[in-house]
Order: sequence, then C-alpha cells, then structure tokens
Amino acid sequence: MTAQLPETASRKYDLKFARWVRDNVYGGGKMNMCMQCGTCSGSCPNGVEMDVGPRKLFMMVRAGMKDEVLRSSTLWECTSCYRCVVRCPRGVPVTYIVQGLAAVAAREGYAPKIENASFARAFWWSANTFGKTDERLVTMKYFFSFGFLEGIRKSLANLKIALGMVKAGRMHIGMPHKIRDSKGLQAMLKKAQEIEAREG
Amino acid sequence: MSDFEKKPGVYLCEGCGISEAIDMDELEEDVTGGFDFSVSHCRRAASFCTGEGMEQLKKDVAGGEVNQAIIAGCSPRVMTREFDEVGAQIIRANLREQVIWTQPAGTEDTLMFAKDNVRMAMAQAENSTPPTPHESTMVSCKLLVVGGGVTGLSAALEAAKTGAEVVLVEKSDHLGGWAAKWSKVSPHRPPYRGLQDNPVPGLIAEVEANDAITVKTDTIVTSTGGMPGKFTVKTTNAGGEDEWDVFGAIVVATGWRPYDTAKLEYLGFGKNDDIITDIEFEELAANGGIKRKSDGKAPEIAAFIITSDPDIMPYSSGVSSVVAIKQAQMLVDANPDAMAYVIYEELRAHGTTEDFYREAQEKGVIFQKGTVKSVGDDLAITVEDDLLGQEVSMTGLDMIVLTTGMVPNSTNPDIEASDKGNSQLKDDINPTASFAKPGLEVLTQNDDEGEPAQPGGPLLNLQYRQGPHIPVLANGFTDSHYICFPYETRRTGIYTCGPVRRAMTIGEAREDAQGAVLKAIQSMRASEESSAVHPRAGDLSFPKFGLDICTKCRRCTVECPFGAIDEDEQDYPILNPTRCRRCGTCMGACPVRTISFDNYSPVMVSEMIGAVEMPDEFEEKPRILVFACENDAYPALDMAGINRQQMNSMMRFIPVRCLGSVTLLWISTALEKGYDGVMLMGCKSGDDYQCHFVKGSAMATERMAKVGETLQSLMLEEERVKVEEVSIADSSRITGLLNDFGTEIEGIGLNPFKM
Repeated sequence: MTAQLPETASRKYDLKFARWVRDNVYGGGKMNMCMQCGTCSGSCPNGVEMDVGPRKLFMMVRAGMKDEVLRSSTLWECTSCYRCVVRCPRGVPVTYIVQGLAAVAAREGYAPKIENASFARAFWWSANTFGKTDERLVTMKYFFSFGFLEGIRKSLANLKIALGMVKAGRMHIGMPHKIRDSKGLQAMLKKAQEIEAREG
Repeated sequence: MSDFEKKPGVYLCEGCGISEAIDMDELEEDVTGGFDFSVSHCRRAASFCTGEGMEQLKKDVAGGEVNQAIIAGCSPRVMTREFDEVGAQIIRANLREQVIWTQPAGTEDTLMFAKDNVRMAMAQAENSTPPTPHESTMVSCKLLVVGGGVTGLSAALEAAKTGAEVVLVEKSDHLGGWAAKWSKVSPHRPPYRGLQDNPVPGLIAEVEANDAITVKTDTIVTSTGGMPGKFTVKTTNAGGEDEWDVFGAIVVATGWRPYDTAKLEYLGFGKNDDIITDIEFEELAANGGIKRKSDGKAPEIAAFIITSDPDIMPYSSGVSSVVAIKQAQMLVDANPDAMAYVIYEELRAHGTTEDFYREAQEKGVIFQKGTVKSVGDDLAITVEDDLLGQEVSMTGLDMIVLTTGMVPNSTNPDIEASDKGNSQLKDDINPTASFAKPGLEVLTQNDDEGEPAQPGGPLLNLQYRQGPHIPVLANGFTDSHYICFPYETRRTGIYTCGPVRRAMTIGEAREDAQGAVLKAIQSMRASEESSAVHPRAGDLSFPKFGLDICTKCRRCTVECPFGAIDEDEQDYPILNPTRCRRCGTCMGACPVRTISFDNYSPVMVSEMIGAVEMPDEFEEKPRILVFACENDAYPALDMAGINRQQMNSMMRFIPVRCLGSVTLLWISTALEKGYDGVMLMGCKSGDDYQCHFVKGSAMATERMAKVGETLQSLMLEEERVKVEEVSIADSSRITGLLNDFGTEIEGIGLNPFKM
C-alpha cells in the first residue's frame, strides 16, 4: 500500500477517491460491481456496532467521501467472518476491501484513537517482533496506548482474569516465547514489503 | 343463406363422466321429443372426439345425412381441431366444463342445466348457417413500409426475404434515421456486453442492393384509402409530385424524436457549453471523438444524468438507461483514465442489457442513485443521494450529459395538424367521444388538457370515417392493446413497430420489425381468403346490413372500433370487409337490429334465450342469463369448471363475440321470458383496457347505463342487469361473482313477468 492518496481529499466530494480505491485497495476493482442490495450489511453479525454498514460504506467510497470512509468504525468492527463475501450476489470481496481500507486508514493516520486499531497495532508489533503473540505484552501495549493512567486503570481492572489465566496455565510468567528463526521471519516480512511496494 | 338446406344431427357424448352425472335417456328424450326443430339423428357414444363415435360422425357427414353437427360434450374451446376436420357446421353444447364439473351429479337441477344447454345449441343451429365468405377484395400483396430508419430498413428486408415486394417511404433525403448517427451502439447480438458496431450502414447497403425493395426518399404518404388487400396510397415527394399505388398491408416504422431540450433547462442545459444532451454526445463521438465543446479537451470526469421527471415526460423508458450506460462506456473506452458517473433515479437494464450494465461496472463506471437537485453554471451538481440518505455535491466535472427521452412519431411533426383535431388520436377508446364526420360537418374537439397529445399531422392521412390518424394509447404510442396484441393498431392491416410503438433499442427495434412484417403478411393472407385477422383469425363470417329497414342513424359507422364501416353517398353503411374484425359491435349498436352475421345474429341469440325451459313462479327456481365474452370470460368459466368450483344452478350461459355485440333486445327478451337477472361478463375497459376489440366492454357499460330507465318503466329493479369485468385469470373470482349475484337476485325476488 504505497500509492499516495489523492491530495484533494477533504470534506468536499472527491470524485477521484473511488478510482484510487479501485486501483490501490485489494479487491477494490470488484467494488464497482456492488448493486447496493444490502445483503452484506444485513448478514453482518457485528453490523449493529458499525456506524455505517458495508453497503453504505461502498456507496460513500463511490461518492468520494474519503474522510468519512476512513474515519468510520466499520473498518475496525469487521471480525473477518466472511459471511458477506459468501453471500454477496455480485461476488464482491467485501471483507478484503474493508480490511484494505482499514490498512489505508491506519497508515494515513485516520484511526489513532480507535480501540480496535490500537489493538491491531499491538498485535502486529508482537507478531513482528517475536513471531508469536505474547498475551501479556500485547495486552500491556494495548492498554498503555491510551496513556499511562488509563493503562494502569485498564490493567488493574483485568488483573483477576490475568491471574486466573496464569493459574490455569493459559499464560506464562517469564521471558516472552520466541520462534526459533526470528531472523528468517524478519527477512520474509521485508521481502513481502518489497513485493508490495513493487506491485502495489 | 337460403340455399343451405339444414340437416342437423345431435351427438350426445357420454364420456368424461357425463353419463354418470346426467340421465342420458332423459336428455335424449328431450332432444327428440321436446322440440319442433327436427333432427336427423340423435346419437350417443362414449366419445365423439375419437374412436367409434368420431367414425360415426364422419360417416353421417360424408353420407350427406348431416351438415350441422350439434355436439353436446366438452367446452367449445377444446377439441376444436378434431371437430373442424369433420366438414360440417359444428355447434357445441357445453355439458362437461359448465355443467357436470360445476354442479352436483345426478340432481334434477343438473339435468335441467344440461337440457337447457342442448336446447340452446339446437336453437343456435336452427338460426344459423355456415358462413359464406365475402367476395375477395385482394388486389395487391405489396407491402408499404413507412419510415427508413433502423426499424423500417429491417422491416423492408424481412419482408423482401419472404418474397414480398416492398416500397419503403422515407421523409428525409436519406435512409438510416437517428440510429445512423451513432458511432457505436448498445449490444444487439451476442455477446451482449460491450459496445458494438452500428448495423445501420450495412442495412442501408442491403436495402439498396435488394431488387424487391423500392426506396423513395424525400417522400411522405399523403392519403391512404381502401382496406387490407387493397390500400390505395398516395405518396408525395419533395417536388410535390403525387404517385398512386395499391398495397396489401402497411408497416409503420416512423420511429421517434428527442423531446424539446428547452425542458432540460432545470438541469442546466444552455448554461454551459459542456452541459450537452445525449444526442450531442453522439455527434461529438462520431465527429472527431469525445471532446469538450468549450476547449476541445477530452473530459476526465463526466456525469451522465438519466432524466426522469414525470412533469417533462410521463414515462421513463429503459432506453434512457441503456443510452447512459453506453455513453459512459464510450467515454471510458476512449480514455481508460476517465471517470464516468451515471446518476439515476430509475436504472432499468432490461433483457440482455443486464450484461451490458455489468460490463460498464467492470469498466469502472460508477452508478449513483439519487435525484439531481441543481446543476450550476460551473458544472457543480447537487444530488439528493438515495443510497447515502443525504445531499451530496459533485464538483470538478468536465462534462455533463443529459439523456433526452424518446417521443414517438405517431404524428408527422413537420406538417400541420389537421382541423379534425388531434383528440381523435386518444378518444377512440372513449365510447361517448364524437368523431369527425368526413363529408358532413366537421366536429373539432378541443383537448381538455389544452395542448394536443401529439402535435403534427397524420402519418398516413387515412381516408377513414374515424379520422385520419392512427390512434394511440398511452403517452402517444400507437399501441392497440397492452398485453395481447403487439404491432397491432386499431386500423386493420396497418401494423406499427419500433419506437413509435414503445421506446426501444436498436436490437429490439429489429426484432419488432420482424414481428410487424409477419403480422402484415398474415393480414394479406387473410384478405386473400376473405377471413378475419386476429383475434378471430380464420372467421369467414362478416356483418351483413339489411338496408331495407336501415334508418341511417350512423351508429354502426361511428361505433365501429376499427373504422371498418363507411357511409355511402346516401348515408347508408357500407362495409370495407377486410378492415372488419368480426366483433359484432355494429350489431350491438344497431337500434333496428338489421345487422347480422350468418352464424351470429340478434335473432339467433334471442332464440337461444327463449330455448331455455323457464320454471314457473311456483317452482321458485330463478334463472339468470349470463352473456360471457368468449375471449376472456368464457375461458375463465371453463377454468372454474376444470377446478371443480361449484356454482349455483340458476345460471345459463351464452357466449358472445364481444360485449360490444350485445344488443338491448337480448336484455329485454330475457326479462320478458322470465329470467330474473342478466349479467354481462366482459373484459376490462378504460385506458388500460383488455377488451380484444378495443372498446366493446366500454360500449356495453355505456349502453347498459341507459337500460336502467327502461327497466324502471317496466317496474323492474335496475339491479337485475349487471355488467362485470373479468380477466382470463379470474376463474376463482368468477364463481364468487355469480353466486353473489344469485343471492342478490334471490333477495330481490322473482321476475314478475314469469309465466
């Protein structure tokens, strides 16, 4: 995801945004096939949490409402259940497009304080660093992304659960686990980024 | 009529459960003993449609013993082909669908119903003869095609392929019409996806190379008289030279014109050079590519607005949508970086154009549903977006293309409207509208809505009693019937096709041309055989006028839905037989009942009414007479029988050709004979009529409105006569109607005129 967003983006109606999404977001080329039937929004198990459903989100993309699209909670409420992808009568890869838009929003700084975005960042940090997710570190990084005091408050609120998990052997104490070939993973990720930069 | 010596024979079928439900011995006794109309035979068999029964029937006819076969069994709507082959006049009594399938088996009432149906059939035989056709009026099998656009060219070619000689008349100085101007067209052959090459230049070359087609450009039709098989047509060219010719049938393919762009001002038309119509877009594309008028640059972002404002045009056709889809594709094809927005309120991708729409989506065309609120001088559009539920503005557009609708050329806008009034175009389905009377006083009728529906002069200038125009239906389209009869106009032998009939694309227009040509050929064949065209195809009977008692009241000439009857110098009616569709509306109109067919007449039906055995008042068995239109109501009744819906036993049914043929004589006869109620069942009337003869049911309703006073003067209740509109799909409703009417009549009480 290296292509630049069109510069004209603002609260005004931006006609080029739809074209940009089509060319730069994975699955965006299929978005034009959407016929606004709303099967995706109706099927979404998490739809009630979203400020707009996928149907309307796509219409907003077509209408060029870049800011509203990239700020919407829809991008972060998607649980990747793929029900919409399975049900779409026009074969639009809804989930992929929503995830692609979420990546754009994260990269462009549209989603700094959205909880799900913070969690995604913490998760990715752990996976990237250790090749594994470490429950303690992911949670801590996530909690403290809201500030120090908020981090303390959130940690204390979850302390009981954490202790329970340790007791049950679901969370260990000590150094974080790492995969054996951490360097290999780093090289792999670097290569993937190279390919993405080259092929878009 | 008189030289036909009747040898009637009655054939009582015992099959399909009839003999189990009815006492056949009693029925036979009634036939042989109860009538003064003597029959040669009364035979019974397990079936007459096949096997030994059929053999017997054929033997009787071949041996000259029987020439009128009265077959009592199934409905006259089934087994027609089998019995037609017998070679005698066939008269059917409906015992199966109407009697045994709607009534309980073995009861006295059921037997009475069956007896009455057979008696009515015998009365019908007694008072009818096999029809003798009129003298052939066939002079020419040449076909006239009016209009040299894509539809007219296709029609001429299709007709020439069948071996017909064709004259193609075109108003302008070249062939091709509007469609010739398009550089690319929406798909008209598989694969129905992207843009396709314009077929018109190829069609023009084919027409010009075809020896069977004579092309006359710069020519219009200035007079059309005669009838199918011999239309006498005058054409006049730009130089004012007249030419007369005779044609067998006429195909009208005068096409369309875009509507007045002044009506598009509210969408910014005229405010900016880059707000153009779809027609201008095509012209740009055909002449050097799609470029802005203002600075000659290729547009990067363009909006295509599908206009659908009911104040401008009462209909929004799928063609506007297809044109917008097409032009958006043209833009994206020419410049893959261009953005095309289609803004619509209603997007109709009909038929195969669904694939065309998907193709546009795949090419990146963006479709937005909403109402355009305003278009600014700077090409900024405000849209009330229906899918976003909010108002959005679009700026940065390079070009706005507005679709114009298709206005049918059901009149010729280049010539003056005739003083006989354009209202004739619409009013001929209105039973009370008056018409221009050629040779008598001219009644100019002002359109109530001020502006005439279609400005312009007549296309064919018909020398018909009913005026010079081809009548139109909704929105100025020359249609005759919404559902059943495409291509047909209300002037027999004249068929319309293409966008003059309804808005359509090139592919549809070419198919339409095929259909109209086939109808025109059918009509010429029918003229050759002196038989009727659809819906009474093959009918050889025709109305005969007893001029000795004619009062020259002109009701038959005025009320004929097809303009088939003219007035001669002495004001007597004179029939143009091949224009006639044999509905009998003239027969129903005639106040002295002097119009009749060989096998359908006021006397015949009156006798059928009288043939029913009327129970006396002490039996307390009411009788209700139902005149059922044989096009829709009668089949619906049959269907009710097939579904075994039970009906009360007081109904007696007489099929009529059309409610328009029902004369008031029959109503008064029925009430005098002691029937307690009369019901007329016909098709839907009004602007969206389903009457197979245009206004028969409307005429019947109009006439029955006047019967009330007569009934009152006889001290009879108005409610005893009722008109009901039913459709062919109404079989489940129809029994309810009849049973309710029966209850209503029982409530009113018995007819005091009962013996």
